Amino acid sequence: MKNIVEIKNLTKKYSNKKALDNINLNIEEGKVVGILGPNGSGKTTLIKILVGLLRQTSGEVLIDGQRIGVYTKGVVSYLPDRNFLYKWMRIEDAMNLYKDFYSDFAEEKFNDILAFMNLDKSMKIDSLSKGMHEKLNLSLVLSRNAKLYILDEPIAGVDPVAREQILDAIINNYNDKSSMIITTHLVRDMESILDEVVFLKEGKIVLQGNAEELREEKGKQIDDIYKEVFGE
Amino acid sequence: MFKYMKYEIRGTYKYILGVLALVLVLTTALYYYISRPANQTSGLGQLFVALSVLILFGTTLATFLYIVGSFRKELYEDTGYLTFTLPLTGNQIVGSKLVVASLWFMVLAVVIGIYNIILVSIFAPIEVSISELFSSLFHIISIRYILFIIVYSIFSIVNMLVVVYFSMAISRITFRNKRIGGLWFIIFLILNAVLAYGLAYVSQAFPYYIDLDTLKIGTMDTLNRFHMEFNDSSISVSANASGLITNIAAIIYSIVETVGLFLATGYLIDRKIDL
Repeated sequence: MKNIVEIKNLTKKYSNKKALDNINLNIEEGKVVGILGPNGSGKTTLIKILVGLLRQTSGEVLIDGQRIGVYTKGVVSYLPDRNFLYKWMRIEDAMNLYKDFYSDFAEEKFNDILAFMNLDKSMKIDSLSKGMHEKLNLSLVLSRNAKLYILDEPIAGVDPVAREQILDAIINNYNDKSSMIITTHLVRDMESILDEVVFLKEGKIVLQGNAEELREEKGKQIDDIYKEVFGE
Repeated sequence: MFKYMKYEIRGTYKYILGVLALVLVLTTALYYYISRPANQTSGLGQLFVALSVLILFGTTLATFLYIVGSFRKELYEDTGYLTFTLPLTGNQIVGSKLVVASLWFMVLAVVIGIYNIILVSIFAPIEVSISELFSSLFHIISIRYILFIIVYSIFSIVNMLVVVYFSMAISRITFRNKRIGGLWFIIFLILNAVLAYGLAYVSQAFPYYIDLDTLKIGTMDTLNRFHMEFNDSSISVSANASGLITNIAAIIYSIVETVGLFLATGYLIDRKIDL
């Protein structure tokens, strides 16, 4: 199967500190990959390099065979871990922006997800709560028929009800021809949707593999393996 | 790029309209007050004049910072996560910001300028009508000169904005901390001084000029139509230099500087800036 993401010897330094240390990782088409690790392990740094917000110090990163740039930004649907929409917008404006810039944006799908999330297009962005923001951002990101979805901590900081809604939205709207990268430290909630897992510790991959095979091999859930690896 | 400009305009137009409304109301009030006879002025009125002038000055500064701040916001605030992950090149993002910012400066200048002309004609009526005034103005100043002034003004705005954007981008790369991100202004001042020195240097090194009125090229001595004649005991002086004599090297330098800094800012966004 073709690799949608190819990462070779990737290193990212901030001054003298290595945020990522010689990472090698391939992600196949159609897989849901969990990048797991505590805060400060380098998850967000890795994601930001993939979406073009950070530049690597050394190494090579390819998405769909291309270096990070305008093309890769067009095929990646990215959910940052913050409220990235312009504050003057209403939800409808945000939808129009996605329609304008991404030819793979499906308006009908967006309407369905928005209804599922109990959000209305006339709502103003700056009046939304944190949970509503998270739901709206995810609605926009999942409404694209992208080759690769990258979700950075999609359920962090939201209440359990919203968390369940968000997970349902991901499961129901994920296109199985696409690939997905999800970073999280809330492993218990997310592990059921992950095909592959990558454990990141202090910028290094300390364990990776197929989620099912790891469960069988270790005789534990991924959440327990996480606790073992990170010593919680 | 036009799509992005659309969102840039939608994000800023309310502020610009608000500024225009404030400036126009204050200017009208000022004209009204100043045009009153001297014996009808009061201490309170003079305080109003002083405050209005201060507000107009503050609004001008705030508007300048607001317009150029649209680029800075992308570098330091969360909206950068949207802007810099859109499938656009750095040049397209900077270009859009540049066009919209230039547009706002021009709209403000033209509207306020025209409004002031109208106010002058209302509050300080003169015997000549506005159309007559303009037609006599065109007799003194050529259309070509006016065009030159318009093009030069637009170019100056674009040049200033490009230097501002480049300073902000350099500041973002050098100082990741938002609190000291305001250092872009110091970088802007230093860069302006260096660029002005460069401009003076090339102008002196290549003292060739073009008269944009006649399109003749030469040195200042050959082009300047300042003419003196000695006839017996009297001296006849005629000065008909058009004011369109411009240093060729300075024109090229300014264009190269603007294009170079624009491309450099786009490059920094694409290859250097870490959010």
